[in-house]
Amino acid sequence: MHIPDGLIPAQVCAAGYAIAGLTTWYSLRQMNRKPDPTAEIPKASLLTAAFFVASSIYIPVPPVSVHLILNGLLGVVLGYFAFPAILIGLFFQALMIGHGGLTTLGVNAAMMGIPALVAYHLFNLRQTLGRALPDRVALGGFAFLGGALGLGLSTLIFLVLVITTIPAGFDVDTERSIILALSLAHIPLMLIEGSFTTLLVLFLHRVKPELLEG
Amino acid sequence: MTYQKSTRLAAGLAAGATLAWALPTLAHGIVLGYEPVNSVEIQAHYDTGEPMAAAQVVVYAPDDPNEPWMQSTTDAEGLFTFTPDASQPGNWEVMIRQAGHGGIVTVPVAAANGEEVVSEDSGADNGTAVIQGQTDTTSSENLSSVQQGIAIGAVIWGFIGTALFFARGKR
Repeated sequence: MHIPDGLIPAQVCAAGYAIAGLTTWYSLRQMNRKPDPTAEIPKASLLTAAFFVASSIYIPVPPVSVHLILNGLLGVVLGYFAFPAILIGLFFQALMIGHGGLTTLGVNAAMMGIPALVAYHLFNLRQTLGRALPDRVALGGFAFLGGALGLGLSTLIFLVLVITTIPAGFDVDTERSIILALSLAHIPLMLIEGSFTTLLVLFLHRVKPELLEG
Repeated sequence: MTYQKSTRLAAGLAAGATLAWALPTLAHGIVLGYEPVNSVEIQAHYDTGEPMAAAQVVVYAPDDPNEPWMQSTTDAEGLFTFTPDASQPGNWEVMIRQAGHGGIVTVPVAAANGEEVVSEDSGADNGTAVIQGQTDTTSSENLSSVQQGIAIGAVIWGFIGTALFFARGKR
């Protein structure tokens, strides 16, 4: 779901960098407000590694195949650390695996990172909306929502971005229908990543609950 | 009248053709010639190795990079072949796209014999259009799988090392 180099206009790339830059600044400021900002770096660093590897794991959803993104999971577990983590992960993906590209790094970071922050806030809603539910149900349920909707929002942004930037000379209808098919293939992936987020959150809650406080 | 004549002639020819069924082109001279041209074959596949079948292809000529010179699609094996116009030397750009994925390949084409090479830095042979090398949009393609594996491993180790460093600092 990464947008590669050369397929979208330069203005969109520049806007992507601008948005990603602002969001990075905001995330870093939020991180700096924590009593000990370095305390969460081990967790963030390990999940960056997981994010980096995840895009090489393909899941066949006939007729296409999709790969894991895990941006919702990063948002749920890392909070504001998720945005820099995704930015760094995408940078290395562009360099090493050839997913995405350096000109589209900003666009991709905004596309995956901002939904991660949304996922974090969704997950935090468990403390208000989920208060009536049993503890573990609220935890698992909102983790699922965060993991699934984080990815879903990214897919939606991807869909809008690539459909509105089909260059002249391409058959718009054909391209549009394939893009829609690919986006629909992300619905099962949303369920997979949502369940995965739930499992991880419940596991962390059992073994090391303080990791989820961030 | 010429019209009638030609009609009759056609009728006669048709009759003749029917009679001489085995030799339908008896009276028509055929000139066959050939000219060697250099075609470019673009191979498009995903990094899983799966070919990009039926992806849309647009070719841009060097003298007008905004207007599509040719539109087509790749075949089932993700292959697409075209013959660049040798009278337009320079960098031909081939854009391949499917479902928002794809990329641009630049194909340098040197001038045909006697023509000046415009914006072409690598040496051109005389005689025919020359297509040099194969460029790929993804940087990973330049590395062997072992090199790529080592590089990816180094990156992952970098992340784990960062985690270990800050985990140690806490204690």
